[in-house]
Amino acid sequence: MSILERQPLQHDVTLLELVDRVLNKGVVLNGDITLSVAGVDLVYVGLRVLLSSVGTLDRLQQEAA
Amino acid sequence: MTETGWYVYGVVDGDRVLDDPAGRVHVVSNGRIAAVAASVDLSEFDELPDRLNDEEWLEAKARDHESVLRAAAAGGPVVPLRFGAVYRRQEDVVQLLDERADELVADLDRVRGHVELGVKGFVARKRLEDSLASDRSAAGAATPGRAYLERRRAEREVEDDASAIVADAARSAHARLLERAVTGVLNRPHPRELTGRAEEMFLNAAYLVPAGDRSLHAEVDALTRAYAPLALSFEVTGPWPPYNFVGESSREEVAS
Repeated sequence: MSILERQPLQHDVTLLELVDRVLNKGVVLNGDITLSVAGVDLVYVGLRVLLSSVGTLDRLQQEAA
Repeated sequence: MTETGWYVYGVVDGDRVLDDPAGRVHVVSNGRIAAVAASVDLSEFDELPDRLNDEEWLEAKARDHESVLRAAAAGGPVVPLRFGAVYRRQEDVVQLLDERADELVADLDRVRGHVELGVKGFVARKRLEDSLASDRSAAGAATPGRAYLERRRAEREVEDDASAIVADAARSAHARLLERAVTGVLNRPHPRELTGRAEEMFLNAAYLVPAGDRSLHAEVDALTRAYAPLALSFEVTGPWPPYNFVGESSREEVAS
């Protein structure tokens, strides 16, 4: 199930905007994609892939499938 | 056994004290600057790609991120971090602050005393096209075939005119809003599949303005009045923590 199929964000543009900001903007402290926490001091939890746009959620979902 | 780490929300001045009645959010300072951080269970971030497609999880995390930054922004400047910066130990957080101090201080100073406002522009495209079409003279055609061709051509011209009007409105609105702001950025409009709205978003901008300054709101109201006959409307969101005006990209922009 992708986020786009379920369209959970519709009817709430503010939530969409929020997610877009939280996932797309702000200072990135580490560009590494590290989904595993083993043996690394900094776990930048994976999100560099995430998002030049909200649409990336869908791509990520497809890649994960 | 539960493994914990430190989730960092943002960066504030080094002498800030945060009032968190729940005692969950901490300030980790290196003296000059400080991280706003909370202890988290690392297993919360397992299977991240799946979690990001989990509506409830994503909403809860995004709202938590936002509410902590919003609270921090109430008492002074805050540099929002992108979602997902988690460190194993507090010492790692301090080391990060040391390593990135200069740029984080520059970000803090840039946003100090300012807030981010979002401005979205929407177009009811069908209504715009209908009004453009009705403005055209309906000349009678000699034959049904010819009438069909002319109608099709007219429709295409109306679509082109509408697109030109919308593009021009986006440029013009952004230019006018920039005059009310310290700086601004244009982001990609959200598709209707995500907004769920009948109107199409044609402008998705963010502006950095002095806290408490309402002149951008007034300009948005003026834009809405001016463009209402063309079925265009504008909305303000925020104030937001200045997500769009910190970090690498904003520095490049300021430099350019």
